[in-house]
Amino acid sequence: MALLEVEALTKSFGGVTAIADLSFDVPPGQVYSVIGPNGAGKTTLFNMLSGIYHPDDGSIRFMDQGVVGRQPHQVAALGVSRTFQNLQMFFNMSVLDNVMVGCHLRTRTGLFSAALRLPRIKREEKLSRQWAREALAICHLDKFIGQEAGSLPYGVLKRLEIARALAVEPKLLLMDEPAAGLNDTETLEMRKLIRRICESGITVLLVEHNMGLVMQVSDRILVLDYGSRLAEGTPVEIQNDRRVIEAYLGGEVQYAL
Amino acid sequence: MRRLAGLCLLATIVVVLPILFPDNYYVTVVGVTALLHAILAVSLNLLMGYAGQISLGHAAFFGIGAYTSAILTTRYGWDPWAAIMAGLALTGLVSFLVSRPILRLKGHYLAMATLGLGIIINIILVQGDQLTGGPDGLGGIPTLSLFGWALDTDLRWYWMMGATLLGVVWLALNIIDSRSGRALRALHGSEVAAEMMGINTTAAKTGVFVLAALIASLAGGLFCHQQSFISPDSFNFFFSIELVTMVVLGGMASTYGAVFGALILTLLPELLVVFEDFEVMIFGAILMLMMIFLPQGLFVGLQNLVLRWLNRRRSAAFGAVGE
Ligand SMILES: Nc1ncnc2c1ncn2[C@@H]1O[C@H](COP(=O)(O)OP(=O)(O)OP(=O)(O)O)[C@@H](O)[C@H]1O
Ligand SMILES: [Mg+2]
Repeated sequence: MALLEVEALTKSFGGVTAIADLSFDVPPGQVYSVIGPNGAGKTTLFNMLSGIYHPDDGSIRFMDQGVVGRQPHQVAALGVSRTFQNLQMFFNMSVLDNVMVGCHLRTRTGLFSAALRLPRIKREEKLSRQWAREALAICHLDKFIGQEAGSLPYGVLKRLEIARALAVEPKLLLMDEPAAGLNDTETLEMRKLIRRICESGITVLLVEHNMGLVMQVSDRILVLDYGSRLAEGTPVEIQNDRRVIEAYLGGEVQYAL
Repeated sequence: MRRLAGLCLLATIVVVLPILFPDNYYVTVVGVTALLHAILAVSLNLLMGYAGQISLGHAAFFGIGAYTSAILTTRYGWDPWAAIMAGLALTGLVSFLVSRPILRLKGHYLAMATLGLGIIINIILVQGDQLTGGPDGLGGIPTLSLFGWALDTDLRWYWMMGATLLGVVWLALNIIDSRSGRALRALHGSEVAAEMMGINTTAAKTGVFVLAALIASLAGGLFCHQQSFISPDSFNFFFSIELVTMVVLGGMASTYGAVFGALILTLLPELLVVFEDFEVMIFGAILMLMMIFLPQGLFVGLQNLVLRWLNRRRSAAFGAVGE
């Protein structure tokens, strides 16, 4: 059974149809990529999957529960986490604190017991710190732990966003262009990280423009064009799909081979 | 216990001052006002410095606390402590009711809405003649007593305000360094990312707004019994701006910075006679200059400077060992 089922999803902004009657299923335990040219509606799709936008029509089911109508924090509680195309770091906080925010749903303390520093807080804080360290270690960010997020270079921040999302312990991780702006070494590192995350049992939904990365890392690929599905299949199928080649990817897909 | 080292230092200063200078005007009279301002600044800083939600109407909640307690004790003969509790309850209710519509706004719009709230509450205080005494104010408010110990001297009020400030600072530090505090700082940094981490940002903002209002209300309750006379002027728009200036001067998102800012802005008018005529103008100038030259605030700016200096000395020492 699919982990995520999207059916007849539609969203428009004024006159612009960003997503049109889109359906697809994401099986569990895979890296599933969504590709398409600029403005194809990939980020809009992610925003609907995470509860930030509400679709005009259609349904989204995650682990057999409806997503539409829930707020982002409620979607997060279902087990969905994400990173953002334009970094959304907490620049006013340290690296460790950033990732500890990710542990929010795994802990309980409210404002009141925090204010009075009830004893169980110490235990919870220790646990959160440990979870955050683990998430940082997966992303090879151990050595930045004491630094302020605002002082880190772009490539590190891209991974820090992933560490923060992993601290949520999601079942599905949405990654919006994790390799954008990275150099070749960093991109290679990112590819390994995505595979590591997938092998740890987290399903990855990936949006990425770097075709080399997409073809190497994905189990299945969905191609979007003007918000609709152009093709869907394994990387080999996509690379040989006549419509995909003709439509726009052309040289780029073959180049990646 | 390193977490509370700053609090211990603050406590020492608060305790030692009146012991060294028991009859000093600057300690027992100006000091009480400084402590009161510090309580208010710390509460506003939770909302503004940490959660990033500006309020230009914080004096309103200070006023609700003060007037509720003043009216209940003078007109209805309530016990002062019960009256302060009633003020807290009313403040909690009002702040909760306005928080939902107001905190949906951001930036300038939030500033305008809180400004409006402050003005409305102040107009109610001025216009509610029958109850509030109108622009002439309300006098004859009884003082508080604590376990049969009447707070009837400046020095006793100093202890009362000092203890309250230390309690409030302790609460603030606890909150900031907790799951809830991280949630507040996170929504300041990026609201959408905070939501995605599972934080109900609406609830978190409401929580800190109500908490800040409650602390201001408590300060108001103490203030009215300390002063025995209050008028709407103490709770107007200019006082809200003064509180914002304290937070900005000390350095947003620093609890000790807020205490420091409150101290400076309470002392300055005492030391400079010109202040009286140009008070609002000087606050405006301070705000402007801080924003341009030292946006992280005086306290935090100095703190960073000292830390950097210490670091340099430490790395210089390590360098010497390396050679
Ligand atoms: N909040 C919004 N308001 C109005 N139009 C929007 C909004 N968000 C997206 N759009 C429009 O929807 C379409 C799809 O945008 P989207 O950001 O989803 O594309 P994308 O596939 O992520 O592109 P890119 O690869 O450049 O990130 C675009 O035409 C965009 O202008
Ligand atoms: Mg996009």
